[in-house]
Amino acid sequence: MNIQKLRALIPVLVIVVIAVGFGLNSGVGTLSAVGWGDISLLCPLGALSTMLASKMLVPRALVSLVLAIIAILILGRAFCAWICPVPFVGNLRDAFTPKSKRTDAAGTSKAAASSAKPSIVEANDAAADSSVTATVATTAVTTSAARDASAAITLSAEELASLKSCSGGCSSCSSKRETIDTRHFVLGGALLSAAIFGFPVFCLICPIGLTFATVLLVMLLFGGGDVTWSVVLVPLLLLAEVVFFRKWCSKICPLSAFMSLVAKGNKTFKPTVDPSKCLESTKGVSCGKCSQVCHVGINPRHPDLGAAASECSKCRACVDNCPGHAISMPFLPKKQAPQAQFNQVIQLNAKPVTDVAAAEAAADVAACEAAQETK
Amino acid sequence: MPDQHHQVSGISRRTLCAGAAGVAAMLGLGCLKFVPESSLLRPPGGQDEDRLLSACIRCEKCYTICPNDVIRPAHVEDGLIGMRTPQLVFPTSGAGDVENIKYCDFCTQANNGVPLCVQACPTKALSLPADATAETYVIGIAKITQEECLAYRLKGCHFCYDACPYEAIEMDDDGMPHVIEDKCTGCGACEAACVSLQDASIASGATRRAIYVDPTVTSATNPASNQ
Repeated sequence: MNIQKLRALIPVLVIVVIAVGFGLNSGVGTLSAVGWGDISLLCPLGALSTMLASKMLVPRALVSLVLAIIAILILGRAFCAWICPVPFVGNLRDAFTPKSKRTDAAGTSKAAASSAKPSIVEANDAAADSSVTATVATTAVTTSAARDASAAITLSAEELASLKSCSGGCSSCSSKRETIDTRHFVLGGALLSAAIFGFPVFCLICPIGLTFATVLLVMLLFGGGDVTWSVVLVPLLLLAEVVFFRKWCSKICPLSAFMSLVAKGNKTFKPTVDPSKCLESTKGVSCGKCSQVCHVGINPRHPDLGAAASECSKCRACVDNCPGHAISMPFLPKKQAPQAQFNQVIQLNAKPVTDVAAAEAAADVAACEAAQETK
Repeated sequence: MPDQHHQVSGISRRTLCAGAAGVAAMLGLGCLKFVPESSLLRPPGGQDEDRLLSACIRCEKCYTICPNDVIRPAHVEDGLIGMRTPQLVFPTSGAGDVENIKYCDFCTQANNGVPLCVQACPTKALSLPADATAETYVIGIAKITQEECLAYRLKGCHFCYDACPYEAIEMDDDGMPHVIEDKCTGCGACEAACVSLQDASIASGATRRAIYVDPTVTSATNPASNQ
């Protein structure tokens, strides 16, 4: 099954399982405290707020918090992309928006991404074709080309210098990346408010909680004859949050903020670009597909541009969309083996460097400028 | 860069303003605490209202685990802050059918007298003293509204008397039921069995049954929950 379809299916399955569990009185709970019977894994934000609000150390909340932190350290923000029902609910907003203006919860334009798709693939194909013919032409004279390589590279030194200054930590780009955003303020405010007013404040409006509350209230309405305005108010609040605050996940959600903070220590399952396959390094084209499809705005090819790696929700969009199949998510980061770097250099040198290196440098400069403009 | 004037240690002014608005919104939400709410009949261990509200994260665990289906989310009509917190609701479906009423039996059948809701509550919002039993722990006290009671209208009804598992209702010589408060635990068996709402001639305008469990009397009755 297509991974992205599976990813879209899991939150629906979670809702169905929880609804069935509720019908059977199994004590599955909801995502706020999921588990079986007495065993519950609490939402880390809920666990924190309840302990702050009630001024009690609750063993199950502490254990849940520790387990959640371990899970986040291993999986990053995978919850956001794989389990959380909010993006699924947020898709309802498409019913309210014309196709051209649709955005996802992270604020990336869906229309732009999808319309850009074919043209980029075409461009890549064209680039691949031309470079294939170029390599065929040059393989006959590999040795001489390799000898010329060093000289040819010095020709494009200016571009290479600008390229280096950009991808190697362009000061103007990286200083714009904020370490703290509005989500973190909401997180701080929620915990502060819980401590001051003595109840878990954010739980009142948490869209994850409201999603399951909607399901259960509707079941109670039809199954138990429980008539209340809550059954209207809860879904309305949920819709107001997720549908009308389009950037809920990236700008407001304190759970997302919590996970992004903890995920700064996440070293596993990071999208890793294999330079020997990436079209940018092998064929010198300005691809940028991975950063375009990323829901949270990470640029896997140039990690210094775009969002911080701790935002990664492990959705694998970059892996699935990479035209060169160069991106993988290894459990542990592979150290860039000296051998691989050596191979890369060999490959660079084996190519018709005069054209490609210059084109590559120009492309990277263009990509950098484009990234700066979009900032 | 003109932008750098707006940056305070990596945070743009725009983020700062939006963030301040977020914090203000959270604090404003906290002020809902001061909106009055009606007192609700809580599941066992939830009688300390402040504690319940401070610890409950609305995870819905308790009402998904209750084997008798008598725990329901509180309505928004009962107060904004209490919405979706657990309350005990005894279904009217068992009215007049004493064998099949649903009430809080402290999970005597399902879990040997340890309420599953208390056992499952992950935040200890519901938490009982160590020595609490179905007979000793008081959830509420049953009250009779005489004007709506069939027995007091000389209809000879005694469903509540039949339903009470703790013999906390006695019938006087005239056949009128009385609650013996020392014995009543507020389990809700009598309320579940009461048919007053089904009898249209009696129930015109009534919103609750002639016998109901009143949650407001328990604060002094139970010793403070441990832990």
